[in-house]
Amino acid sequence: MHIPDGFLDPYMSAATYAAFLGYTAYSLRRIGGALDPSRASLVTVLAAGIFAAQMLNWPIPGGTSLHFVGGGLAGILLGPYLGFLAMFMVLLVQTLVFHDGGITALGANMLNMGIVAVLAGHYVYRGLRTRLGDFAAAFLGGWLSITLAGLAAGLEIGFSPSFGYYIDVTVPVMTMWHAVLGVIEGLATALIVVRVKAVLPEVMED
Amino acid sequence: MMEPLARYRRALLIIVALVLVSPVFGVILAEMVGYHEPLDVAAELVGLPDKSEELNWTPFFDYTVPGLPDTVGYIVAGFIGIAAILALGAVLQRVAARR
Repeated sequence: MHIPDGFLDPYMSAATYAAFLGYTAYSLRRIGGALDPSRASLVTVLAAGIFAAQMLNWPIPGGTSLHFVGGGLAGILLGPYLGFLAMFMVLLVQTLVFHDGGITALGANMLNMGIVAVLAGHYVYRGLRTRLGDFAAAFLGGWLSITLAGLAAGLEIGFSPSFGYYIDVTVPVMTMWHAVLGVIEGLATALIVVRVKAVLPEVMED
Repeated sequence: MMEPLARYRRALLIIVALVLVSPVFGVILAEMVGYHEPLDVAAELVGLPDKSEELNWTPFFDYTVPGLPDTVGYIVAGFIGIAAILALGAVLQRVAARR
């Protein structure tokens, strides 16, 4: 899921950085006074948890594998702005310390995992939890978050004028595989949300 | 910083446990099955060039630690990453406390 250096042409790199920085400025304004020490601790612990969970790949014999992303979970637990902040902490450390994700692709990776995935998880869960219950709503939020993040990555790597246009290949491959493997993301998200709601109901974003 | 985080002691213990078992999934099983992601599949189909190693700046590239076997290095890298996130969290705490 982490786009490395070399996969994006300079135009796409610049465009995705612009979107990421614009959303960063907007988020910081929206977070405003909501960031008290207690919420800061929660953001930190969730970021550490997502970082650790992303190290556990799901190796599928003979097939294509994936790892937990956690953007949907962050959006459900923390909302669209603090969830973005948690994912930023994860991706910044992964990129700078481990070069997992390119520095030229940090904007794109943040757009996919820190914005698209977080917003999808947040709004799907909020929109469906009353009708479907917490588990089903969180499952769909987690599943859609990784599927849409995959679609966004497919668009970014396929829509690069300098490399030619490969959207007809990259978008179906990325969307299909993430939709299939995203079932695991959905299940993990749902189990964590239900557990957190049971033991720490006060941390759930309103 | 310590007091608010102490509230999440159980979560932090789970995070430590995840890091300790992570090489089973991230190194051993990943090598056994030839781990590759949908992004790798798409990149291979259209010939996108991965320039990560050419442009590398970190000694901990891809969760390795120089001089350590991959499995142990993966665990150490995990703790380095967690420490870096907690350090960012400490900055966040200071910002939050000033508001």
